[in-house]
Formats: sequence, C-alpha cells, structure tokens
Amino acid sequence: MEAKLKDFETALKALEEIVGRLEAGDLTLDRSMELFEEGVRLSRFCNTKLEEAERKVEVLVKNAKGGMKEEPFEPEAGESGG
Amino acid sequence: MDLFEQRKIYTVGEITSDIKKTLEKFGLVWIQGEVSNFKHAASGHMYFSLKDEAAQIRAAFFKGSNLYLKFKPADGLEVVVRGRLSVYAPRGDYQLIVEYMEPVGVGSLQLAFEQLKEKLRKEGLFDEERKRRLPVLPRKIGIVTSPTGAAIRDMLRILERRNSALHVLLYPARVQGAEAASEIVAGIRHLNARDDIDVIIVGRGGGSIEDLWAFNDEGVARAIFESAIPVISAVGHEVDFTIADFVADLRAPTPSAAAEQVSGAREQLQAEVQSLAGRAKQAVRLILEKRRLHLQRLAQNRAFLATPTRIQELQQRFDEASLKMMQAMRRFVTQVRHRERVLVTRLVKIDLRGSVGRSREILKGMRQALAAAMRLRLQRVRGALQLGVGRMDAMSPLAILERGYSICRDAGGAILKQAAAVAPGEQVSVKLARGEIGCRVESTTQEGEA
Repeated sequence: MEAKLKDFETALKALEEIVGRLEAGDLTLDRSMELFEEGVRLSRFCNTKLEEAERKVEVLVKNAKGGMKEEPFEPEAGESGG
Repeated sequence: MDLFEQRKIYTVGEITSDIKKTLEKFGLVWIQGEVSNFKHAASGHMYFSLKDEAAQIRAAFFKGSNLYLKFKPADGLEVVVRGRLSVYAPRGDYQLIVEYMEPVGVGSLQLAFEQLKEKLRKEGLFDEERKRRLPVLPRKIGIVTSPTGAAIRDMLRILERRNSALHVLLYPARVQGAEAASEIVAGIRHLNARDDIDVIIVGRGGGSIEDLWAFNDEGVARAIFESAIPVISAVGHEVDFTIADFVADLRAPTPSAAAEQVSGAREQLQAEVQSLAGRAKQAVRLILEKRRLHLQRLAQNRAFLATPTRIQELQQRFDEASLKMMQAMRRFVTQVRHRERVLVTRLVKIDLRGSVGRSREILKGMRQALAAAMRLRLQRVRGALQLGVGRMDAMSPLAILERGYSICRDAGGAILKQAAAVAPGEQVSVKLARGEIGCRVESTTQEGEA
C-alpha cells in the first residue's frame, strides 16, 4: 500500500474506500485493525499534502541574458478597477 | 377646354420610370443605418431595411455584390453601405441597391468576435470533452496578467484572506493595447515550458469590449487550447464572455472568483479528509463494540462457565486486540490534535470575526467528543479486564476455600490427596479460608476399604 501514496487524489480515494469498508463492519478484528492503521496513514498523508504547499508570491522578470528569473512580488498599492 | 387638352397624362409605368431616373441622379451614396428585417433569400440575394430613429429605406444587396462579404449581416447591426437609389417598379417601392457594406464601430468588433467564435467552435476548441480537469490540489499557480492591474491585486487579496498556501508565479503581461495578445500568448507558453505549474489563470479586470479585446484574439485562444496545463480564464465583469472564456478549461466570472476557485478546494478537502478520518474512527469503535457484545454473550453462556480456559483465551485475545486498537487510537488522537492546532493557528489568522469563535467551538466540541470516546473505550477495556480477573478468581484455591473446602498438608507441608500418605499419630495441618488448624491423625481409611 505504501507505494500508492504518491498523489493526493489516489490517497483520498483509498481513504474513502477504507472508510466504506470499515463502515460496512463485516470485517475481522485484525483486518479492521489493519485497515484502520492504513486509514490513519492515508489521512496523515493527505493532511501533509494539504499543508505542504508553499505560500509565496513571485513575479517573472527578464534578466540581462534575455531569460526569466523569479523575484518576490509586491503588488503596487492603488485603486481597484481597470 | 385648352387646359384639358394641354394636360400631360402619364401611365403608371411612365411616371415610375421618370421617378426612377430622378432617383438615379443621386448616383453613388453612402448611408449609415441599422439593419432590420434582414432576409437572405435562397437565390443568394439579401433584402433588408436600413433605419434610424426618423425613417427607413428598403435595400437590396444582390448576390454578385454580397458574395465577398466577410460577415453575415443581421438585424440590429449598425452598418455603412454604398449603393444607388432605384425603384422597384412592380411594387412601386424605391430602394437602395447596395454594392458594399461594412459594420460600424463596436459592431465591427462584435462581428469579428462572432466570426472567430464560430470558426473556433467548428474546429472544436470549445468542446467540453477536451477540457482538462483542474487539479484537485494545485500547489503552484501561474498567473498571466498585468502586474499593476486590479486583477492581480484582487486575486492576491483573496488568496491572502483565505490564507491559502499557494505559490503564485506572475507572468507580467500587458492586457490591453496592440501588444497585449502576443504578451499573453508568450506568458501561457512560458508557463507551459516550466514543469512546476499546476494551473494557469489568464485574466484582467473589467473594461469595455475594446479593453478586453486581447482576450478575443485568435492567437490567445489557440495558446490556451494548446496549453498542457489547465487554464482558467478570469476576465472582467461577469456578463461579458470572451473567446478565451470559451476555450479555457474553466471560466471564472472575475479574477477574484478564479482565486476562490484555486484556493477553495483546499479547505473543502481538509474538511473531507477530517470527516473521513472521523468516520474511520467511528466505524472501528462500532466494530469493537460489536465484538465486545458478542464476547459478553459468549462469556455468559453456561458452556463456557464450565471451561474457564476457553473464556480466558478469548478474553486475552480480545484484550490484545483492544490494546492494539487503543494504541492506534492514541496515535490517531495525537494526529487529530496536531491537525487541530494547525487549523486553529490558521483560523486565528483569518480575518473573519465570529467564524473563528465558531470554528473554535466546533474544534473544542470535537476534542471533547474524542476525549469522551476514548474514556469510554478505556472503561470498556477495564470492564473486560475485570471480567477476566473475576473468572481467574473463580479458579483460585482461595475461592474454593471460601466455599467451605479445606486443604490438608502433612508435617512437611505437602498437600495430602490420599489417606494412606499419613499414619495415625502424625501431625497434619488443615488450611481453611481463614486460618489453619493443627491436627493429629487418629485413624486413616482408604477409599474403597471402608
């Protein structure tokens, strides 16, 4: 199952499935235990993914060589509109 | 009656012919007016009226002349036409024979818009099936807009307010004027050349149709179409659609709405993950509870009372499972607490009075419910353990003594199981539930001998 933890959507889908199976309730104690552990792992993974994006605002600026580089961006204060 | 003899009497045809000649003296005229009652006959000729507030004039635009017309005239369209005045004798109407027509002002842009829209639609650029799904969880968004416009300020304000953990990369492009279209195209292409952008927003604030014109550019439309990264169009006011809006994978009515769109999903997903984790916990609790009840029913079954080891084994297994479950639950709780701390930190930052308090209340309620659930679980496990201890007690020799049995030992302390092990005169001790009695053997009788 570990290998499946690549992207958020897959993990979320797997978590949904696990919850569905747990809610069906017809599992052995050991199996439900395994699933629960896996569910906890998946929800932790999802939460990490949800948190890990970086809060940053940058603007692309042409450099001397004609390429582009990123610089921090501060919008100019001004009136709305236009 | 000279008068009578001098009078000139025209036939209808003659006078009509004269009128026609008079009208034709106007030569080529340019007339501006609005098209109405437009009909494009099967023959290829076009018939319509040109009108303004004061009057109207019939017009015919014959096939040979209208063949090269780039747009399709329609009612309401303001046009300038060049033509000659004439008379349609069979009906006595005078009319304008149009040789050339062009749309006027905004009408011309609108026409170009409609034409391009139709062309691209036919090519399939607007097909819903080819539209890409927006990423569920974008991390880095590329924005193509003016760095000084209202659009970028509005978007950043929304992202700020939502406390969205998004990495924004702005490609500065002019969004009106002659250079705008090519700069927007360059922006979309540049962001596509990178490998870190999850979604692109192309937009600007509202404006007149001329201001928004770059977003009706064919090149921009094709750049959006060719973009490997999903594109959200976010142009101006809600009511105006641009070609970019039709091609984009998602049309946001305003730049602010686009920002909401890319940041909104995250909060929704956080709630979803939280809810799923809660449901998993609840389901496990139910499973555990079901097993516990089942076990309790078994424990009360007479068959098991007779075989205490079986029940003990079951209890041990249950306790082990419970313990494992408890450990998992504890880890889960730790995790939920952590999430909660993160959320509270985030909520505190959100500038929405009241909602913070409410969210805190919800979190507090959740924490309490969780704590209560954990306490309940602990109690249950403890109860199960006590039940086990009770069964153990039943097996203990002390409990047997309590029922009136006693244990007899010889002088060496060995438990006596047969009378032959001692001889009359020897010392034995008898252990009762409370205390001991020192005794001397008077006589012994072997079972079977008596």
